[in-house]
Amino acid sequence: MKHILLAAMIAHSALSITPAMASGADNNLTVAFPRELESLDAYQNSSRGGVILARHIWDGLMYRDPASGKYVGNLATEWRWVDDKTLEFNLREGVKFHNGEAFNADDVVFTMNYIADPANAVKPQRNASWIAGAEKVDDFTVRILLKEPFPAAFEYLAGPVVIYPNEYFSEVGTEGMGTAPIGTGPYKVTGQKQGERIDLKRYADYHSDSPKGKASIEEITWRFIPETNTQFAELISGGVDWIWQVPADQAERFKTLGDFVVSNESTMRIGYIGFDASDRYGDTPFDDVRVRRAVAHAIDRQGIVDSLLKGASIVVNSACFPSQFGCEQDIPTYDFNPEKARELLTEAGYADGFETPFAAYRNRDYAEVMMANLSNVGITTSLNYLKYAALRDKVQNGEIPFQFMTWGSFSINDVSAITSNFFKGGKDDYARDPQIIEWLTEADSITDAARREELYSMALKRIAEQVYWLPLFSYNTNYIYGAGLEFTPTSDEIPRFFNASWK
Amino acid sequence: MTEQTINAPETGGPSWAAQLRQRIFGHLGLTIGGGILTLIVLCALLAGVIAPHDPYVQELTNRFASPVWMDGGGWDHILGTDHLGRDYLSRLLYGARISLLIGIVAALISGMIGTIMGVSAGYFGGKVDAVVMFLITVRLSMPVVLVALAVVALFGGSLFVVVTVLGLLLWDRFAVVMRSCTMQIRDLDYITSAKALGCSTPRILLTEIMPNVLNSLIVVVTLEMAHAIVLEAALSFLGLGVQPPLPSWGLMISEGKDMLLFEPWLITIPGVALFTLIFAINMLGDGIRDVTAPENRN
Repeated sequence: MKHILLAAMIAHSALSITPAMASGADNNLTVAFPRELESLDAYQNSSRGGVILARHIWDGLMYRDPASGKYVGNLATEWRWVDDKTLEFNLREGVKFHNGEAFNADDVVFTMNYIADPANAVKPQRNASWIAGAEKVDDFTVRILLKEPFPAAFEYLAGPVVIYPNEYFSEVGTEGMGTAPIGTGPYKVTGQKQGERIDLKRYADYHSDSPKGKASIEEITWRFIPETNTQFAELISGGVDWIWQVPADQAERFKTLGDFVVSNESTMRIGYIGFDASDRYGDTPFDDVRVRRAVAHAIDRQGIVDSLLKGASIVVNSACFPSQFGCEQDIPTYDFNPEKARELLTEAGYADGFETPFAAYRNRDYAEVMMANLSNVGITTSLNYLKYAALRDKVQNGEIPFQFMTWGSFSINDVSAITSNFFKGGKDDYARDPQIIEWLTEADSITDAARREELYSMALKRIAEQVYWLPLFSYNTNYIYGAGLEFTPTSDEIPRFFNASWK
Repeated sequence: MTEQTINAPETGGPSWAAQLRQRIFGHLGLTIGGGILTLIVLCALLAGVIAPHDPYVQELTNRFASPVWMDGGGWDHILGTDHLGRDYLSRLLYGARISLLIGIVAALISGMIGTIMGVSAGYFGGKVDAVVMFLITVRLSMPVVLVALAVVALFGGSLFVVVTVLGLLLWDRFAVVMRSCTMQIRDLDYITSAKALGCSTPRILLTEIMPNVLNSLIVVVTLEMAHAIVLEAALSFLGLGVQPPLPSWGLMISEGKDMLLFEPWLITIPGVALFTLIFAINMLGDGIRDVTAPENRN
């Protein structure tokens, strides 16, 4: 009780504080992230914060320009497919790591062979599991060997696969890399306090031809603040300059405070409802396609987007994020129509509705709206609200008949990162449709773009027609920062502080 | 037989009932606590009649409507609406049902367990006492919130699970108090007389012991009721108690937490309600103790 009243009092007094903005006069930036990192070693860290930090400390061979979506060279200048399992790169000359070590083919070969070796347990494995190894052609030419044709290779080489300095890393190992990382990236780490902060300083000798551009901010302080209300208080009092992933309601309130820029950008994450259509859980009403269609008609997806998600979110109909390669949009769709839903349920023999468990792990408010929508057509749900890891395991073990979950595709702009994960017969597949499995298996193993598109299109049409999944909506992220900061959010959810500057 | 009969006035003064009434209404804390509690119980019982809206109906276009005393508030939603556009007053009224239900049922279950254990230990002594004391020690060495969290995490949160877990965990104080009360009276003359008359043990326990430990029992009941209500709120706040969309005060505080900086009334309102309920129950318990304590009788 006492805590609650105290908290309320603090809240009242916090509002009366006039925002004390960091002016940016010293050209430094303080950013806040909710979760601390397991390690600074980019290959021992799968969290979003670690992915973002890695782009600042290291460079990849390639870079995907966020504005055009095109792959451009970073540590590589040119590349070509020797055959469909061999990629050859010409490397950039004159690049130096933060510790002065010169960058050359040895670093690339070392890094590729290191991450390709399962014994080194790179996290997450999918970043490296497609690489067989690498060989040096000459000092500035390397070949990367693939295990099998892998259409999304560029996406990884422009993203999570960053190049390590072979001499330094051989000497200090993953532990040394975790505490004192060395890369070629636009920022170098000057210090860290575990669980509290990481200090970054602009790398003065950053190679000038980099597509990442020359950084403007001199020093970045990377703080870990788990509690959102604390983040807000820090932002208002000037303790941090930049926060993100702010829920829509709070972001709207910040707009009214003034002195802050609230920008909103779509993310690749989509929400979906999964059904036990193949009896993995047991005999459920969801075996009947009419029941699944009824659910699709019962849920007011547009209403949820308009009232709760807001921003750049849209209703998603296909089982993928619209910008992803192969994400067919010409598919059967289901409008919000409770009357139709009731008819379909009656047809399926559930005129009086039925009861079912319903599981979710985030956005309990969205889940509650869906539950109200479902109860409106006669489907009574009991919510089973679990932690993500717990729900994921239960789903993968076939213990959940009906669930609201989300998938971020690891920001990989290709449907193989989402549709194939859920419909290729794997642990997450509750449809187990042999036809779809066949199409997706073929599409994932060839490089012919037109044929891939055609196969994905057939699979996505069938998924929508059978409602094996009910895709709901895309998520968005709100970024809030001081009005003096120039910052452009991107849809891959990787804030690029090396492109930010103070006005 | 009981103290009351012993003290029964034969001198023509006010009757025993009149004295009791005078003591009750003369006690400020008891009157205030009892009054507030009666009001809350009435609100809970009549929630279906007096609640202005259905507590489950969502109105997504009217979320976070302000309470009537704030800018933009209106009489349609006197206490405003929550993050899903549900009427806050209606949820508060229905939430009172949940809180009281949990308080009463948990106190009943734990009261039964604790009283049986405590009275047996106090009356029989010896090995029974040793076993009961051991169980009490075991129970006291387990932190209630942690055990409740673990059990709820294992079996999933629901009203039934929360009530059962709290009922099975909160008997320690009953047992301790009942044990010492029984020990104090078990060797008194009227018990010995009853034994001499050949009364059976159950009869002695029920008609001789129980009426004389009842006042202490009532006080413990009020304390444990308050305890159970606060624990339910804590569990619901942590997302492990009563599951949505059931309106629970702890859950309402938890749901309002995200808007702490901007709409603090979302937390203040259920917080004040919870505070008032606990305050009333504790005042009532205090009052009952004062009124029934032997030194306050003439």
